[in-house]
Amino acid sequence: MTAVIKRGVVKGLTVTLELAKIVVPVYILVTFLKYTPVLGYIAKTAQPLMKLVGLPGEASVAIVLGYFTNLYAAIGAIASLNLSSKETTIIATMLLIAHSLPMETAVSKKVGVSGLAMVTIRVALSVAAGAVLNLVM
Amino acid sequence: MDWKSFAAEAAGGSLKYVLIMAAIIIPVMIMLELAREKKLLEKLAAKTGPVLKIFGMSPEASFPLLAGFIFGISYGAGVIIDSYRSGRITVKDMILVNIFLSVCHAVVEDTALFLALGASPLVIIAGRLAAAIIITYLASRSVFIRKYGEGAGG
Repeated sequence: MTAVIKRGVVKGLTVTLELAKIVVPVYILVTFLKYTPVLGYIAKTAQPLMKLVGLPGEASVAIVLGYFTNLYAAIGAIASLNLSSKETTIIATMLLIAHSLPMETAVSKKVGVSGLAMVTIRVALSVAAGAVLNLVM
Repeated sequence: MDWKSFAAEAAGGSLKYVLIMAAIIIPVMIMLELAREKKLLEKLAAKTGPVLKIFGMSPEASFPLLAGFIFGISYGAGVIIDSYRSGRITVKDMILVNIFLSVCHAVVEDTALFLALGASPLVIIAGRLAAAIIITYLASRSVFIRKYGEGAGG
């Protein structure tokens, strides 16, 4: 029993450390962007598209980071953006359906599924989930 | 640019989130380890097996499916490969399990991470589950999967 709990604690600390290594730098970077005109510009450009899923324009930074790199980077960005609870739920669902796309495409190819087809379907489901949640929540 | 408030926000905010994450993820990992120790997966798989008929899958596929669903891809992959090699699941079932898991895996850990940010855990899980069911159902009815046939055994 103690061994099991110890294993859980070690795993929890490992995940926290892995997370911190990515979340902290991304958080600092996005916070830096907030203090410059850059984030405002990105937000304005992405606003029309992000409106479809009920998210503010600056959330596009987290979506792009999640799709192309990984969840941890997206989490770092979300943490620094001060989104509402509804917005956080929408972006979380979208990112959990589709994330780390370049890496996971390689994995799906290995089991004989077209990587491009999987990416297309996952991104479509991700956007659809965001749009539906925006309407029903 | 206000460097002082930037430094305060960047340092304070990022530290705060790491601490919240640790406070959530460590208990979650302990619970997952306990669940593994208590063979919760085996018990759950026996109950959920028949549901997989909607995807034309055999009940045996529920064990690798749940392994990835609950514990994540890295643990799930080991179970999937093992189930396939020992002939308990077909190539077709293995592909469908992978498709399901591509949008819905490690639900406990992933959901916990976003819980720390203030998201609603039930909505996240329901959303992902719905997406996984849609994609797996469509795949199970597609021409692509039919070429793998209905035969059992790996």
